[in-house]
Amino acid sequence: MSTTQSPYHFLIRRVHSILGLVPIGFFLTFHLILNLTALGGAKQYDLIISTMQSFSGIFIIELVVIFIPIAVHAIYGTWVVYTGQANILRYKYARNWFYIIQRISGLYTFVFVIIHVYLLRFGEANFSALSQFLSQPLGLLFYVLGVLFSIFHFTNGLWAFAITWGLTIGPHSQKVWLYTLGVVFVLLSAIGMSDIFAFLK
Amino acid sequence: MAEQKTIRLKIRRQDGPNKPFHWEEFEIAYREKSNVISCLMEIQKNPVTASGKKTTPVVWECNCLEEVCGACTMNINGQGKQACSALVDQLDQPIVLEPLTKFPLVRDLMVDRQIMFDHLKTVHAWIPIDGTYNLGSGPRMPEVKRQWAYELSKCMTCGCCMEACPQVNSRSKFIGPSAISQVRLFNTHPTGEMNKHERLAALLDEGGIADCGNSQNCVRACPKEIPLTTSLADLNRETNKFALDQWLRK
Repeated sequence: MSTTQSPYHFLIRRVHSILGLVPIGFFLTFHLILNLTALGGAKQYDLIISTMQSFSGIFIIELVVIFIPIAVHAIYGTWVVYTGQANILRYKYARNWFYIIQRISGLYTFVFVIIHVYLLRFGEANFSALSQFLSQPLGLLFYVLGVLFSIFHFTNGLWAFAITWGLTIGPHSQKVWLYTLGVVFVLLSAIGMSDIFAFLK
Repeated sequence: MAEQKTIRLKIRRQDGPNKPFHWEEFEIAYREKSNVISCLMEIQKNPVTASGKKTTPVVWECNCLEEVCGACTMNINGQGKQACSALVDQLDQPIVLEPLTKFPLVRDLMVDRQIMFDHLKTVHAWIPIDGTYNLGSGPRMPEVKRQWAYELSKCMTCGCCMEACPQVNSRSKFIGPSAISQVRLFNTHPTGEMNKHERLAALLDEGGIADCGNSQNCVRACPKEIPLTTSLADLNRETNKFALDQWLRK
């Protein structure tokens, strides 16, 4: 029997899955770690930012490695959210909570990234600009949630990634990977909170 | 619980697919070891609501009464279950009965689960053995495989996994966990394996395995305790290998 199906649906879902790790997940981790330099003070931080911005071709790298993958992942992800129908009130299982939080965190991160990029990449990208934004309680809350939700979305996404790619098949391996990612979540969150703390002085 | 004199039920009534729905409450005499079906039969004998109003008997489906056919599946206190194996003594009262929400309603608690059969056809959930001459006996199945494959064969297409799955709804074409698990069953069978490619190809399509959202409600909701999430993950691996292989051979 010949297949009349088009494999594009499968392909785009797999591309969506892999983009979450390569490059977005790697970029997120790199970004969180690099921002620890802000702990060294405004001068050091501003120097690193201006050095990075002076790289030739930085815009192309940002476009191909960061902007396009995030846009594709976020826009297609929004469609994925639309095709789901949460039922947490009837089926109160832990994994069902993760299902809904994964979607909420994805949507929040989408909005967060747009504002974050608008303010800091196209606006004034320096220590004092962010410091000022974070001095407002709502600005701080917006950032704390943005950092925690994006890290949750990444680590919980990695849990599903291992299933999507057929790595963790049985319930036991899925559980071991869940706990491993729990540790990763705590570590990345500690780094993310330190980043924010650095700008609060 | 045994001291209770009555059994209270709250049932969602609807005369037809496009008719308005309303709730009716019933109170029947307590009988030890009742199940939801025996309560419905009691109401059928004397269709009068708790407030004394005469009404029509509640429509529902059932066949085997031993949790192997799946016909009496309905939402009992908010979750998909078989009415035959739902024991009154284990349920909070009033026992709320609603039809499954993922299938077209026929009347009251009766739905049309035709789409589940259609999905089995979509994924070729059978083994083609017809020929123009006797094909002889097939290859043997290893005992270790038979043991876990038997668990998958317990699926009665009841629809509990579809009901629990957030990805199965009117906005999505997802065929649901049960049909996908059947692919694993038939692909494991030594004769069924010969047509493995047809079933895997069907899973690549829209509504196929990629639409799973990993909420893992299905494995919790399955009354036959079929390892549905293991089937899904296993077929993720198989479809990835298959899709890549097909593409590289183009």
